[in-house]
Order: sequence, then structure tokens, then C-alpha cells
Amino acid sequence: MEQKEVDYRKEKMKSRIAWVVAFILALMWSVVALLPFFFMVMNSFRKQFDMLSQGVFHLPDPWNFQNYVEIVSKGFFGYFLRSVIVVAVCLVLMLIIASFAAYPLSRMQFKGRGLIYAGIVAMMSIPMHVTLIPIFKMTTDMGLYDTLQALIGPYVTFALPMAVFILTAFMMTIPREIEESAEIDGCNKFRIFFSMILPLSKSGLSTLAIYNGVSMWNEFAFANTLIQSAANKTLPLALGQFKGEHSLDIPIILSVLVLSVLPMIILFIIFQDKLVKGMMAGSVKG
Amino acid sequence: MTNKSSLAKRREKNTMIAAVVFLFPAVFLIIVYMLYPVIDTFVISGYSWNGISADRTFIGLKNWITLIRDPSFWAAFGHNVVVMIFSILIQIPIGMLLATFLDAGGKKFNIFKILWFLPYLMSSVAIGFLFTYALATNGGIFSSLATLISGHKVSVDLLGKNPQALFAVIGVMAWQFTPFYMVYFIAGYGNIDTSVYEAAVIDGATRGQYLRHIAIPLLGPIFKTACTMSLIGSLKYFDLIWSMTGGGPAGGTELMATYMYKLSFQQFNMGYGSCVAAGMFILITLIALVFQKIFVVKEDY
Amino acid sequence: MKKKLLSLLLAATMIGSMVVSTSVFAEDEAAAEETATEEAPAEEAGEKNIPELTTEPLKIVLWDIATEDPTKSIQEDAVARFMADYPNITVEQVHQQNDNYKQQLIVAMSSKQAPDMYIHWGGGPMAEYYKSGFVNDLTEMYNTYDHPDFIEGAVAQASYDGKILAIPFGGLSGCDIFYNKTIFAEVGIEVPQTIDELEAACDKLIEAGYVPFSLANGSKWTGSMYYMYLVARHSGNDEFNAAYTQEGSFTSDAFIWAGEKIQDWVKKGYFPEGVNSLSTDDGQDRALLYDGTCAMMLHGSWQGRSIMTDSQEWYDQNLGVFRFPEDAEAAANGVPQDVEVGTAIGNGFSFNCWNEDGSVDQAKLDACYVLATQYYNDETYNAAQMAASTTPSINGYADQIENEIDKTVADIFFNASNVQLWYDQYLPASVTEVHKDCMTELFGLEKTPQEIGEEQDAAMQAYLAENAG
Repeated sequence: MEQKEVDYRKEKMKSRIAWVVAFILALMWSVVALLPFFFMVMNSFRKQFDMLSQGVFHLPDPWNFQNYVEIVSKGFFGYFLRSVIVVAVCLVLMLIIASFAAYPLSRMQFKGRGLIYAGIVAMMSIPMHVTLIPIFKMTTDMGLYDTLQALIGPYVTFALPMAVFILTAFMMTIPREIEESAEIDGCNKFRIFFSMILPLSKSGLSTLAIYNGVSMWNEFAFANTLIQSAANKTLPLALGQFKGEHSLDIPIILSVLVLSVLPMIILFIIFQDKLVKGMMAGSVKG
Repeated sequence: MTNKSSLAKRREKNTMIAAVVFLFPAVFLIIVYMLYPVIDTFVISGYSWNGISADRTFIGLKNWITLIRDPSFWAAFGHNVVVMIFSILIQIPIGMLLATFLDAGGKKFNIFKILWFLPYLMSSVAIGFLFTYALATNGGIFSSLATLISGHKVSVDLLGKNPQALFAVIGVMAWQFTPFYMVYFIAGYGNIDTSVYEAAVIDGATRGQYLRHIAIPLLGPIFKTACTMSLIGSLKYFDLIWSMTGGGPAGGTELMATYMYKLSFQQFNMGYGSCVAAGMFILITLIALVFQKIFVVKEDY
Repeated sequence: MKKKLLSLLLAATMIGSMVVSTSVFAEDEAAAEETATEEAPAEEAGEKNIPELTTEPLKIVLWDIATEDPTKSIQEDAVARFMADYPNITVEQVHQQNDNYKQQLIVAMSSKQAPDMYIHWGGGPMAEYYKSGFVNDLTEMYNTYDHPDFIEGAVAQASYDGKILAIPFGGLSGCDIFYNKTIFAEVGIEVPQTIDELEAACDKLIEAGYVPFSLANGSKWTGSMYYMYLVARHSGNDEFNAAYTQEGSFTSDAFIWAGEKIQDWVKKGYFPEGVNSLSTDDGQDRALLYDGTCAMMLHGSWQGRSIMTDSQEWYDQNLGVFRFPEDAEAAANGVPQDVEVGTAIGNGFSFNCWNEDGSVDQAKLDACYVLATQYYNDETYNAAQMAASTTPSINGYADQIENEIDKTVADIFFNASNVQLWYDQYLPASVTEVHKDCMTELFGLEKTPQEIGEEQDAAMQAYLAENAG
């Protein structure tokens, strides 16, 4: 009994030291993660000349709010809105289609499963630049060139292989008994998918939403190729409005980037909390 | 007996139908937007073509023979392999460590989660710009630190010399992508049934023991997918290299994707550029396959 | 974003503008004489010798890279004036991003969706577009109809294979040494006339604690400017032209001399430390000027405007500009000392107007021609260009410049006996890549001038062999 007490204290002591060390490391990592971000924000409040002459890692002196006034007056919110629409539509479509595909790949036995899975995963290795010309051709043939709809196909498709890959891995971890009991109850595959598999894959889905949401939000190459008129451009293309042939006003570019990233941060703050709750709910059910 | 087998058959048929229905949208989109361009790329790789002219000359395997002997391509591939190895060695363990810390800390560490995730949200344009300055010889963070520590002016040339330029970029990539693996592993931990944890606690396991002996092994499949993603991602990487070094100095950070891009879109050599792309596709798929075969983890628990 | 621009310019096959046959010069002069100078404003269209435009509805798709003011509004105004005069013609003006412009154009051309009228920088890409059937030959129209009185060099650069393929509209870019007048006065040095004086000035600057040259050679074409000028001062255009055809070599005298000079300068600390890591796109070279680390910067003349945009005050107080100094020894041997490195056209428009059956769509082509020669390049347009510190590549404008720096730049340019087009725009694209990497190795002291000369020779020979058949 006494021996156990000592062990316990030792354990606790050890764990306390471990926590302190971990906490210090965590703080250090926070600095590393935060500093570039901090300077991105700071430099967006400066004039190019001040930034270049005083150095990039310097606080604004004087503060300059003109950059933000300028980008807002140059139609920032239009770009913003279009980006929101595109990302929202593409993300929802992509998650539905990917989880549709991951379900049979992870939980059904049928001919050709391995082949289809391998085929889809192999598509992850495609360098996207080779698809620019064929996709441009297709888009013009479909009459979608220079519309927001043109982006849906490539955005959804290019996120699919990885999404299917990840979701398959996540769905494999769902215990098989759940499904079996449902099947005995006479549920068909579609009921099982919507009522059990999908809710239980929430954590995988939310990771994918984060990953692909960010990459779609920042996507440049397809948007630049498939859209030409200013009235249809998305946020990453807005940067081009502030770049000249020889000149580049870096603080203005950074202020566009700050405004673009802000909603993502807010979403992440809300979302990551939901993410935890979603998982708890899933676990309780499981 | 006949009854039973027909029942099994019917079941099999039902499964097949369900599978087809579920898979159709994804497979359709992938065929249209990805498989077709890939086939197109392989076709173009057999031609000598500037990318825009109406006529192109079929030259058979000539591009492929050039590719196999092309030292620039293999050098780029070598850089990709280095990037791949270090990405996996840096991003995944740190991502996992951070996730473990956050998982152990629970809700009160949410602020860390948000701070640590920020790098992933920044666009490559901003990252490229800020790190070019941070790594600069004059007034850059590393040079300033070295000067501070040594007491006399030291300039650390990270981006201008080989081989450190490649490692500098690998470091920046790690900074950008580690947060993603962190979130990924958090989700992985989240997927573990809470009852497993409760059972472990009842058995008298400490948090550390739980992690070491139960949670981390359970993350096996998640871990494997993370490695595969990092592997494929770093073999076809383009963005940050393009905006930070453009493949320089003296080709020291040239990757397969930047090499391919220069050939196809800047040097009017679409035929050979497509061949490089096709070669890239084959190599990446092969490496990913080999990795999948070697790295076998228990997939059920 | 100059890096991108120049890399756009590197081109695959570039025999063109080098062989910019003398016949084109002659032709142009003749044409210029025929039509006389015409600085008459566009409003007097009645007296002008321009093609009669269609009265049918017509749509022209135009691609430019004018994403930013003032260029953007100057060019939009030109189009607006044109559309006001020809209400039946619609011009759809698309502002593409410079960074990816060349990629965009390749994607569109390869899908047969190329614009009717598009910007480019001449050189190899223009030749490639022409050979692939995306450029209308303008020689006949140019000789028949009115056009601005472009300077010779501009017409030469808009030509390939003896044909005029583009209408310049972007103004010229020289390459000169910008310097900080305040530092020069403080250290007590005069503007150097010869390379020896330049070196003496540099030594004085180093003594006073300054780094002589601000150079961001991460971009590579920036270091190439020093190499090009030293070669040009030591041998005019001759050795480069010989090396281009490989009748000579990149290891000939001038190249070795230039390489050794650069490496000597690197060793003596004329350039900032870690010169290969600095990026001009991110403004790191200007930063070194602004914070008073460096005293001079050899750069394209557009940098003057960038500095002015950054800070009018600093520009007024500190900035001066001078011509790259002469090589006294070579001058004594009769080598011309007034070769200018740069480009006579910032940009040109080429036209891509064809009917379904492959014949020329003359109605559209006429409209494009009138738009490019009479609305772009008209008085209003050029006055706005001048106000934005850009000198049009048209005779007569150099005299009207008021800004001292712009005037010096333009004088140097117009007094040059010859223009040496940027190597990286002039050489075939595959050779350009090698050349640029050589610049990294040269400034990094990783390879000797002899070694980089041999590398460039090998690349050039490989190119010539491939294109011989």
C-alpha cells in the first residue's frame, strides 16, 4: 500500500515535470507559428517604402490604414462573396461524393474494388498543370468558360482522390458490428450509409473540410485559367489587381491576404469547437 | 442448398448495385477531369510539339529516351526524394506530437490549437515573401540571431547557396504543412471510441500509458494515410518553390513539377514537358505503391 | 515581378530578332519617310491614311497585362476613345496577370481560343507564335497605312524573319546605374566615366562603410546585367553575336574578362553578402538602397518609376542615374562604348485575325491595326505614358521629357549606337536557363568564367544542333 502511494507520487511528479516541459515547448512552438503571421498583419499596415527602408520585421511607424481603404474600394467584397459561394458549393458536393465513394470501398466486398480504389488513389499523383489545357478545352466546349460554375468540376474532382483515400481509412475504423446489426434489422445500404456511416465519419469529414476548404479558398491556377472577367473573379485573383508588370506593392498584397484569411480563422475557431462536440456525439452513439 | 446460394447471389448482386451507385459520381468526375488529361499527357509525350502549333510531329519514344538520360530530370527527382524524406520525418512526428499534447490537454488548450493552425491558413504568396526576408542574409532572422549569439556580424546565406537552399525550403514547407497533420491526428484521436479510454482508466492506466500502449497503435491506419499523403504531396510539390526560389540557385531546388512547368509553359517544349509529367506520374505512383506494400499496418482493431 | 516577365521572354527559338535583318531597318526607314512623321491627333481621322473600318458589328478580344494603374487607365482610355469613334465595334479588354500570362496564352492558343489581339515582349515567343499561326503579318499594312514614327530598334524588335509582326506600345527600357547622390556627395565621389573610375569609387565607398552595388541575384537576370554590360563594353556586340552562332564562343576574351571582373568585384565586397539569396521581386535590392546600405544599383530603367512610387521624397532627395562607364582600354582599340543594354519595345501587340477557312479576317485585322496605331500610341496616350515616366519608342518624344532621371535614361538610350537586347530574352529558352544558372555560379564564386563559358557554349551548340535539321 505504501509502496503504491510512493509510486503514485513519483508518477504524479514525473507527469508534472513532463507537463511543464511540454508547456514550454508548446509556447515556443506558438511563437514560431505566430511570428510570420504577426508580421504579415503588421506589414499590411505600412507603406512599401517604410517597409523596405525600415526592414520587414519592424512595427508600423507610422501606421497606414490606406491599404485597407483601397482594397475595399476596389471591390474586395465582390471577390469575397464569389469565393464564399464557390467554396461552399464545391466543399459540400465534394464531401458528399467522396463519402459516397468511400463507403463501398471501405465496407463492401465486390469485384473490382481493389482496382477502383487503386485507380482513385493513383490519381493523387497527377501534377495539376498537365490538366490545364484539357480542362480549359472542355470548359469552353461546355460553354462554361468565364463562369463560376466552371470551377466546380475541377475543384470537386481534384479534391476527390485524397478525400476518398482518407475517408476510406476513417470508415474502416468503424466497428463492423454496427452495420451487421442494422442489416439484420433489414436496413438497406443507403439507410445504413446515411444513418450510421456518415455520422460516424464526422471527424474525417471535418478534417477534409478544413484541408480542402483552405486549398479551394486559396486556389489560383484553375481560377486564373477558367475565368477572365473581373465580375467573375474569385479572391486569389484579386491579388492580381494590385500587381503591376514591374511593380508590386507588397503591403497592399498582404492586406488582401489578411482580409482573406480572417474569415478562415473565424470559421476555424467556431468549427474546431464543433468538431470536438461532433466527435463526442459520435463516440457516444458508437 | 440452392436456396441459400441464390440468396447469397442476390445479396452479392445487391451489394454490387449499391457499390456502383455509390461510386458512380466520383468515378465519373475522375474519368472526365483527371483520367482523360492523364491519357492526353501520355499521348503528347510521344510528340515533338511546342504546345500551340496545329501540327506536331510523332517521334515515338524519343522523348522517353531523352528523359531516362536527362540529368536535370533525375537531379530534380533527387531533390523531390529529399523533400519527401524530410517532410515525412519532420511534419508527421511534430504534427502527431502537437496533436497528442492537445488531445491530452483537452478543451483548455484550444487557444494553442488555433495558434498552431495559423500557418496552414496563410497563402503561399505571403509565406514566400515573409520567409524570403526571414531567411535573408541582411536583416534576416537567422543572420540576426547568429550575429547576436556570436557577438560579431555573421551572415547566414540560406537561400543563395546549395545544398542549404533546399533544406531552407523544406523547413518552410514543414512550417506550413505541420498544422494540417496536427488537425488530422486530432481527428484520428477523436475517432477512437471513448469507451476504449474509459476501459483503460478503469484498468489503472495513466494518460501516458494509455497513449503509448493504446491510442498511438490504434492510430496505425491514420498514420499510414498521413505518410502516404505527405509522400505524394512532396513528390509533386510546386507552389512555394516556385514563389521562393524558382528552382534556383543553379537548379539546387529544382523539382520535377517546376522542371515540367518550365518546359511546357516557358520553353515551348510541351512534348517533352508532357513526357516529364508522365514520368513523374509513373514514379510517384510506383513509390506510393511500394510504400503501401512495405508499410503494412493492422487495419482492424 | 520582373523575373516572371523576363522568364516569359525567354524563348525557345530566337533566331529572329538577332537576324533582325538589315532589310527591315531599311524597309522601316523607307516606310517612315513615305508616311512622314505623324504626330497629328487621332481626331483628324479624315486626313489620315488608315484602312476604312467595317460598319457591321464586330467584336475584338484583347489581352493585356494592365492590371494596375496608371497603365490600366491609360490603356482603358485608349480603348474607350476607339469605341467612341467606332460604336459598332466592341473591344473586350481582358487584363491578365503578368505572372502567368505566358501560360494563359499557351493554354488558349493550344485550345484554339486565342484572343484577336494580345500583348507580348517580342523576341523568341513572338517568333514561336508566328510560326504556329497566331500572328498576322503586318508588313504590307505597315508600309501602306499610317503608323507612329517608331524608332528603328522598336521596329526591329517587332519584326521576325523580315516581317513586321507587332505594333509596339509600351515604351522603351534601358539599363543604367541608379545611385544615391547623398552618399556620393558625402564620400566625395563624382559620377565615374570609366570602369577604372568606377572601381576607384567603389573602393572609396567600401572604405566609408558602404556596399557599392545593391544586387538581388536570386533573380539571376539581375546579375546578368553586369555580365552583359562588361561584355558589351569590352567588345561591343561582336563577341556576343559570334558566341550566339558559335562561330565565336562564350569563352572568348570579353566573356572571360567580364567574368573575372565580376568575381574580382565579389571578392572585393562590391556586392551585398548572400547576393544569390536576395530577390528583386520582393524588393530586397531597393530595400538595400533605401536603408543606406548600398550606394548604387544597376537595373532596368523601370526601377526609377518603382522608386518614385515607393517614395517621391526619397527619389527627389537621393536618386541619380548614370550610364554604365566605359572600358578605356577597349575604347582605345576602337570598340564602341555606347552600346546600350535593354529593350526598345516594352510591349507589342500582335494580331490573330483569321477566318474559319484559315484566310486573313481583314475587317477585324484593320480594326485592330487602327486601334493599335491610332488610339494606343496617339498623343493622348503618349502624353499619359510620359506622365507615368515611360518614354514611348517613338521619335521625337525624348526631347519632351522633363524629369531629369527619365531624360538621362532616354538620352543614353537614344544616343546608343546599338541596343543589346537582354541575353535572357535573346537567347533560346533552353540556353537562357543555363545562362541564368551560370550567373548564380559566377556571383557565388562556384565556377570560373572559363567554366561558365563552356557551359553556355555547350547549351548553345545543343540548341543549334537540334534546330539545324
